Amino acid sequence: MEALLFNVDGGFLEGTVRGYKAGILTQSHYTNLTQCESLEDLRTQLSATDYGNFLANEPLPISTATIADNATQILVDQFKYLRNNAVEPLSKFLDYVTYAYMIDNVILLITGTLHERDTHELIERCHPLGVFESMPALCVASNVEELYQSVLVETPLAPYFRDCLSASDLDDLNIEIIRNTVYKAYLEDFYAYCGSIGGPTADVMQRILSFEADRRTVNITINSFNTELSKEERAKLFPAIGRLFPEGNNQLAKADEIDQVRAVCENVGEYRQFFADAGSSANGSGDEDSGTLSQLEDRFFQTEVHLNKMAFLQQFQYGVFYAYMKLKEQEIRNITWIAECIAQNAKDRIQDFIPIF
Amino acid sequence: MSDDFPSLLRSEQMSLVQLFVPTEVAHDTVAELGELGNVQFKDLNPNVNPFQRSFVGEIRRIDEMSRRVRFFSTQIQQEKDVIPIRPLYDSAPLIAVGPRAAQTMDELDVTLSAHEQRLTQMNESYQKLSERTKELIEARHVLRETAVFFDKVQDHQTTIRTSFDDSSAPLLQHDDRENQYSAGNGAQFDLEFVAGTIERVRVPTFERVLWRVLRGNLYMNHTDIVEPFVDPVTGAETRKNVFIIFAHGDALLAKIRKVAESMGATLYPIDANADKRSESLREVEGRLEDLQNVLYNTGSSRRTELVKIGENLKSWQDVVRKEKLIYETLNLFNYDVRRKTLIAEGWVPTRDITTIQLALRHATEESGTSIPPILHELRTQKTPPTFNRTNKFTEGFQTIMDSYGVASYQEVNPGLFAVITFPFLFAVMFGDIGHGFIIFVAALYMILAERKLARMVLDEIMSQFFYGRYIILLMGLFSMYTGLMYNDIFSKSLHIWHSAWDFPTNGTDNKLVGVDSGHRYPFGLDPGWHGADNNLVFVNSYKMKMSVVLGVIHMTFALCLQFPNHLKFKRPIDIYANFIPQMIFLQSIFGYLVVCILYKWSVDWSKASTQPPSLLNMLISMFLSPGNVDRSEQLYAGQPFVQVVLLLLAAICVPWLLVTKPYLAWKDMHKIKKQGYVSIAGDGDGNRIHRDSSDEVLEGEEEGNGAEDGDDGEHEQHDFGEVVIHQVIHTIEFCLGCISHTASYLRLWALSLAHAQLSEVLWSMTLEAWLEPTGVFDWIVLIVMGVFWFALTVFILCIMEGLSAFLHALRLHWVEANSKHFEGGGYAFTPLTFANPDFKE
Repeated sequence: MEALLFNVDGGFLEGTVRGYKAGILTQSHYTNLTQCESLEDLRTQLSATDYGNFLANEPLPISTATIADNATQILVDQFKYLRNNAVEPLSKFLDYVTYAYMIDNVILLITGTLHERDTHELIERCHPLGVFESMPALCVASNVEELYQSVLVETPLAPYFRDCLSASDLDDLNIEIIRNTVYKAYLEDFYAYCGSIGGPTADVMQRILSFEADRRTVNITINSFNTELSKEERAKLFPAIGRLFPEGNNQLAKADEIDQVRAVCENVGEYRQFFADAGSSANGSGDEDSGTLSQLEDRFFQTEVHLNKMAFLQQFQYGVFYAYMKLKEQEIRNITWIAECIAQNAKDRIQDFIPIF
Repeated sequence: MSDDFPSLLRSEQMSLVQLFVPTEVAHDTVAELGELGNVQFKDLNPNVNPFQRSFVGEIRRIDEMSRRVRFFSTQIQQEKDVIPIRPLYDSAPLIAVGPRAAQTMDELDVTLSAHEQRLTQMNESYQKLSERTKELIEARHVLRETAVFFDKVQDHQTTIRTSFDDSSAPLLQHDDRENQYSAGNGAQFDLEFVAGTIERVRVPTFERVLWRVLRGNLYMNHTDIVEPFVDPVTGAETRKNVFIIFAHGDALLAKIRKVAESMGATLYPIDANADKRSESLREVEGRLEDLQNVLYNTGSSRRTELVKIGENLKSWQDVVRKEKLIYETLNLFNYDVRRKTLIAEGWVPTRDITTIQLALRHATEESGTSIPPILHELRTQKTPPTFNRTNKFTEGFQTIMDSYGVASYQEVNPGLFAVITFPFLFAVMFGDIGHGFIIFVAALYMILAERKLARMVLDEIMSQFFYGRYIILLMGLFSMYTGLMYNDIFSKSLHIWHSAWDFPTNGTDNKLVGVDSGHRYPFGLDPGWHGADNNLVFVNSYKMKMSVVLGVIHMTFALCLQFPNHLKFKRPIDIYANFIPQMIFLQSIFGYLVVCILYKWSVDWSKASTQPPSLLNMLISMFLSPGNVDRSEQLYAGQPFVQVVLLLLAAICVPWLLVTKPYLAWKDMHKIKKQGYVSIAGDGDGNRIHRDSSDEVLEGEEEGNGAEDGDDGEHEQHDFGEVVIHQVIHTIEFCLGCISHTASYLRLWALSLAHAQLSEVLWSMTLEAWLEPTGVFDWIVLIVMGVFWFALTVFILCIMEGLSAFLHALRLHWVEANSKHFEGGGYAFTPLTFANPDFKE
């Protein structure tokens, strides 16, 4: 059915986003990029790709931050173009994509205010897709209740925050809890929304979101080792979706060390390899542990990229929009990484990016 | 084929040349060749990354320079008062070749960066100053507007007082009261306020947030600032509002301040005391005046700087553009082993080699060295690019054909014939002396004012018309000719000679019947037809038949163009297998129809024994019941026999077309296999040598086929299946195409009819009724209607109808004519040239 009617509203935008996707850097581009000697080389190299002359009017010397900012700006412009041309339900779907950025911005602002950073500096660091009108006012709030009542109540995030109003005062741990509670609520809501769209969109998006949820669950578990977070509270932060849910989540809630996490993950075929060759080092000291974790993080990113690429294999669904945003973000991270490596002359680690195509 | 004069019949003969350029003259050589503009360089190191090439450093430097130049030009464009930019042809040229080239570029680099530095500095200080000015202006606004708030409050004093009866403190202090209770009223003044400015779009959010944060414990007032604030750098306008918020208690005020600041508002300290307010207002005004003076001075010195830049901007742009092109071209070159010489390869028109050699020598002299670059020709199998040398007259016609497809190398170029056929087919549809004259005059004006117009920057539509001015000129001329044939001038007839028809008035009847006076109207359509009842019947039949005749002639001509192609590319097999059967097929059906049309016109049917037959029915029954022609509809004696023969001829042509070529190809392939040769991709040479030697004993067909393979040069192995499928498609396309294309030429009739009818309608609905003015009023109406009629004539009949006729003429050339002979498999010659007006930095 969607094959019949999808193109009425979504055909143009799907075509557009697939066109954008064709501009994502490929392995040969990355090979060229990693051979660059300086950031100017990088600029020359990028100007031959779809990025075009996005840095042409920047005075020398170029900084890594400028490259990342300009690249993000391109992505934001593309997204805004898509959003402005979208109609229901795609427009709602795209709004959902922005909520994740809004949550990040809110948390960023609250944390920054807590550490008494300059508000304007904080606002500049916010992701442009997650900016909402009354956002700057967040920095007046001193507790969650106030935060909710003064600002968030009129944003689309309000329902997500409703669950964590109990946390009274703001400190680092509480903010972390708020972030995860809100994100959990967001993921569940998004998951349900994709389900309500149905069809291939639901298939594709729920696969991606399940992975996202599982990733959060695992991360929360690992990060909460040796902290004052109790196990019941930890269990509350786990999203109630994903492939680990429910048994895996229950076991993770009780886990005390990383081996237990591995045991849980081994129940799901695709996740088995996350810890695959980390086995030997896991018993070692804390140093190696952190090595495992960063490796785990990379694996997560790789799986995410893989899932997002899979989204493009199916037509007539909205997953491509989400997937494109995620892939492009990964690409910007890659470019930034390469640029950083070039700027800091750390050529030996330049290959540590995650190739997309 | 190449002779001394460039012809449009075939594209220029091209040679692949190799250039050995000593490194020190490389730059000047490329500059010289770029000025000349007839060498297309090949990329000799396609596998090398753009940043690993030899001249990346130079390119990067040029990029930086061009960024600076761009920065200047945007700065100049943003300036509100127009800053004069001296055009390129007025400014002294910057010489970037010769021994002093490097120095010139260095100097330019230094100049540019110095200018940039100065400009950025001035911009910064200008911005800072205007920022301060803006703040002061805002402060002034806040002071004034809050004064209004306070005054209003004073007016409503009593009402406020009554509403706040239970409150022990008055809501507001106003000046009178404050003056009365001079010293000890600090305790009463417990409602404090915050005042400032905020962007207008943010006001609603601001209000909402404040209301929520303070739980409604505030009184806010705001008014619009009428004039917008203009950002000095971006030129964007922002509109702001003055607000004043009253609240109670320090904590709340602190919160308000924080919210306001984070929302991007600017706060200004305002005193509740009216005297102090007016004092600070005076102070602000004074400072504002000082600042504005300084700002003005900074602005004018910035302007001087920009004017200075504007004088040289164009020549800088030009030099930077050229240098970038030169280094990009140099990057295509290869170094020899010792890295002393650059090796370049490129296509050049063969006849221009001497000019190029002269240019090379000139470049050597210019750069002051003694080692000239060496040029020598290479023999190659590669297909050269197609280059049709045009002048300003033929350029437009060539472009029409090139936009359909670039002709194969040395193929017969339809662009040459389009010079006449295109305006002619257009004119058949557009025939009207008056309209033709209008577009002729318009084109003539564009041609006479060519130099002036070429310099002006025309908009997109006008520049298209300007580009096609010679096409329009010929279209106008031809339209006047066909208009004379149709005897149409603005839908009226010309009575140049005496009409062949007399209309004797016989008083009894209203109907006038024309009587043949015996002599013939010497040229064109008899004006006697004009206004006759059967005019349309006559004209339709005439124009319809004429368009079929023209169409068949045009197609036959286009088909004939195959012949020189086959001769040129030495493939006689195509003459026997394609050209001849196609020609017979076309002529036996549609050529016959044309003959019949002409014959029918030549017979005086009023004296003949039979009725004039319908040619359409004749053609249909020629297919449906071959050999049978009704006696009463017979055109000439022996008609059934002739038609059967023609039909058989056409029928034979189909299998002939379908089978011959694949069969010969198959036979050829078989022969090679029998001789024990196996085709190996890329062994071209050996294979061909053998073929050449055996050519003498082979028949003509094989020879042709072998030569074709050789000419192809790309070592392409022709698949037999491919040949078959291609020929099947070709046959079907041609046979069906003949019928549909002939029908397609009827558009000549349709458009010509539409054009004539439309101009007649326009005439009768506007001018006709007012042509005999009697009073002043009638004269006025006549003039108004005349203007109206003329405007519609130009816009609807000349421009709109002209465009549609143009479009149809285009189609007739692209589809109906080109499909008969045009291969169009070439690629265009794109030489390195500096003369590219479209290129914008």
